[in-house]
Amino acid sequence: MRDEQTGTYWQQITGKAISGPLAGHSLPLVSADELTFALWKLEQPQGTVLNDVARYAADYAPEDWDAKTAKVPTVLSYAEAGLKPRDLMLGVRAFGASRAFPFVAVLKEKLIQDRVGAEPIAIVVGGDERSVRVFRRRIPGSSEVADFYRIGRGGTSARPKQVNTNALLMDGQTGSEWNFQGCATAGKLRGLCLEPVSVIKDYWFDWRNYNPETTVYGIKQRIH
Amino acid sequence: MLQKPLFWLSICVLISSAVLAYPLYVIQPFRFQGPRELAFSLALIRFRPIIEIALLGAALTLCWFSWHQARGALRKAAASACALIVVVFAVLSHINVYELMFHPIDRPTFSPAAGAKLDGGEEVIAVHIGTAARAYPVRSMSYHHIVNDMLGGLPIVATY
Repeated sequence: MRDEQTGTYWQQITGKAISGPLAGHSLPLVSADELTFALWKLEQPQGTVLNDVARYAADYAPEDWDAKTAKVPTVLSYAEAGLKPRDLMLGVRAFGASRAFPFVAVLKEKLIQDRVGAEPIAIVVGGDERSVRVFRRRIPGSSEVADFYRIGRGGTSARPKQVNTNALLMDGQTGSEWNFQGCATAGKLRGLCLEPVSVIKDYWFDWRNYNPETTVYGIKQRIH
Repeated sequence: MLQKPLFWLSICVLISSAVLAYPLYVIQPFRFQGPRELAFSLALIRFRPIIEIALLGAALTLCWFSWHQARGALRKAAASACALIVVVFAVLSHINVYELMFHPIDRPTFSPAAGAKLDGGEEVIAVHIGTAARAYPVRSMSYHHIVNDMLGGLPIVATY
């Protein structure tokens, strides 16, 4: 990216200025979620959606863009650990470490309780069976590590038009119920929320390029 | 130097084509960019106007001398052609062809969530600041790549 005011070049993935008058500076990250529209609309009924630009809308990616993009060759390839360059990963860079979770594995397991660095985290699939959020796995207000169980009765097929808004998780310590926003909706901890952790959906080759020290969920061997 | 204006004019042409072509080669899409060649190309783009002014000054001076000293129309024509190439390359170096391929949104418009014509299964990038919430559909973000926006009173840039 280049800014019009100073002509500085900024790297999209990190927000760092890599060349030009502001080189060395960084743009602070505003955390974002990647959700299905149906789920977002339920959470933010008062929100607003970016309109298409009529002049260019005909050139936007088709609805099946992800299937088509999967076939586009990549500039880099890291044929490690049986991963293909365009395998979709959920990448977490936090707590002094990088860890990638294969998207298909996350969708299949629906709840993954793991660690990034030394910190326990939970990866949760939403009631639309598509959207994913990551939280620190500690009981709010204490340092105790929470053990979660999946209780949400989500649909078996991905039908994002019918989002299951029931609580998704229960913790083994207090039996409180937790929703996809990471907040307890019933039980002793009702009203408390887990701390969210930023996650990015990325192709394996791209994630691996910017996170050379990454580990991969489900793969014991060292990647690098 | 002024004894051989044609020789030095061709050197000017060589340098101006190199400073034009090298960053184009390094920054081209779908090619791996090494960190050092990228840093060099971006620095070259940044300081290129100074190089171009020096080259333009030299080329026009040399061309002027050619017209006054050189014998034969052919040499004069060659000198003029060289100077013209330097001028054209200097103009071209101010156009970033790869930026022309993208259409960032500087004045975005929005619809309320309830009225948006979007399929429920479409992916959006969701941001909220305070009570203000915004969704950027991935299908249009993957085309525009950059949206300069204001949300909850804060200037933000949504990128893909």
